[in-house]
Amino acid sequence: MLRAAGRARCGVTTSSEKETLPRGTEIRGKWNGKVYRLERLLGLGSNGQVYLASAGPRVICAIKIGHEAAELQGEVNILASLDHSEKGRQPFLLDVDDAVIDGRKIPFYVMRYVPGVPLKAYLKEHGSHWMGVIGYRLLERLSHLHEAGWVFGDIKSDNILVGEYGRVELVDYGGASAIGRSVRQFTEIYDRGYWSAGSRVADPAYDLFAVGLLWLHALDGKRLVQLTRTLIPQNRHPRELMKLVKSNPKLQPVEGWIEKALTGQFASTRESTKEWREAVRISQRPKPADDRVPGWMAGLLGAAIVLSTTLAAVWLLD
Amino acid sequence: MMKQILLITDGGSNVGESPVTAAAQAYAEGITVNVAGVVDEGTIGEYGVTEIADIARAGGGISQIVTSRQLSKTVQMMTRQTVAGTIRQAVNQELRQLFGVNDVGSLPPPKRGEVVKVMEEMEETMSLSVALLIDASASMKPKLHAVEEAIRDLTLSLQARTGRSQVSVFHFPGDSQYSYCVMDAGWHSNASNLGSLFGKIRMRGTTPTGPALLQVVDYIRETCGKIGKIELMDEPHASGGGSSEVRSDNVV
Repeated sequence: MLRAAGRARCGVTTSSEKETLPRGTEIRGKWNGKVYRLERLLGLGSNGQVYLASAGPRVICAIKIGHEAAELQGEVNILASLDHSEKGRQPFLLDVDDAVIDGRKIPFYVMRYVPGVPLKAYLKEHGSHWMGVIGYRLLERLSHLHEAGWVFGDIKSDNILVGEYGRVELVDYGGASAIGRSVRQFTEIYDRGYWSAGSRVADPAYDLFAVGLLWLHALDGKRLVQLTRTLIPQNRHPRELMKLVKSNPKLQPVEGWIEKALTGQFASTRESTKEWREAVRISQRPKPADDRVPGWMAGLLGAAIVLSTTLAAVWLLD
Repeated sequence: MMKQILLITDGGSNVGESPVTAAAQAYAEGITVNVAGVVDEGTIGEYGVTEIADIARAGGGISQIVTSRQLSKTVQMMTRQTVAGTIRQAVNQELRQLFGVNDVGSLPPPKRGEVVKVMEEMEETMSLSVALLIDASASMKPKLHAVEEAIRDLTLSLQARTGRSQVSVFHFPGDSQYSYCVMDAGWHSNASNLGSLFGKIRMRGTTPTGPALLQVVDYIRETCGKIGKIELMDEPHASGGGSSEVRSDNVV
């Protein structure tokens, strides 16, 4: 959806928007007067480019340069509202301003830089056993967001940055919608509507559905993509997804969790977080069979019995 | 109330009135025209590509050429962007008249934030009618499944809006030389009520895009009352004349 949004716009915009700005470009705010120096392109968001930038010798931040002031402002509004409703944490939004580059007026905003790699890349590098922690952190993050009255909407690997030791941060809030409104941005295969599993009205369960698919996509992407290619639209249904989940050993611990997410059975995101933790925890406990006496102890006991029997036999025979 | 026509086609028109003037007429009557060009194998050809872009420009809308796999996504995005664009235009005009500033982007960021909040509120709550006009000439036949899927997908998205939304579906050419296009579904608000759309179409060779467009404009005029320029405050309920309207399930 993200990239496609850029493409659809080509009818009304110029090609220069697709060009990236060179390292060292200075962005000078018209209203607040702050100056930023672009370091490198971090990524392409739904309605602009995100760069790593420096403001002064030691301040590193991320700067999003938009195409259209009103569109970018919508995102700024969401970020500002989140900073306001989640007062406990560090603010995300640092500055909002306009600059002139090559004679063109461009709107931009500055946010805290979140180091990390997309979820799928992280799992590939560090192994799927990080799923428990990452999943928990992601659901915690979503709980905060949902309690503040927002639905993230466009959950997918690229929008979930994982940092050191499975720390999770959501990026690209351009697709967030207020609860009760229509979901403004989504990716087809993560979409509840696409799988005939519910509406596109933004509610917490919409995000949880996408999280269910996120794990299926992250750990069994090939089969999922294959399924979307072969299924005819009338047959898109959570039960088809569950067939994949149930036949993948890596997903076995969270099988029940995913089923609940795909069928909208969690009462709240908090509840889903708790159940995720339990599901992962159970799978980490030693199996009942190993629960008994360790092997070496049993062996020792056996040896002792054999020894004492032999001794008894020798003594009796004597 | 906002009105859009979305034309889905795979090539140039070849009968009757020019589709570009037809689209210009639609726009003059307050209806935005978007065009999705679908191409799977081969190309649309330079003539087709130019015409598609021209129709959208004349109709105040956007155009895009895609494969049938991307159609659902594209149709949705065009609709959403057009809604946002229409509101932006109306708001900018008000800003010019009231405050003498050029557009939303010329306001200082805090003010801009306030205005954008109002704009987003309007995007979500304003009534929206989208008439889909499907080119069903012979070459489109293999793509009609994708088209039907895209229509359902769009209806599902519109159903999630807070404001009243409705979709109607037409295809062309019609069955006789006197009807350039045929209505497959009148105004609908619920994807599950749409039924099978193109079950019994007989594919024919001609592509009377222009005349078909004008016929859809007539339909919108007849069913949606008088169309003026977009007003910032939407009327609570614009009554449709005898069409099969169903209110969206999730109007609050």
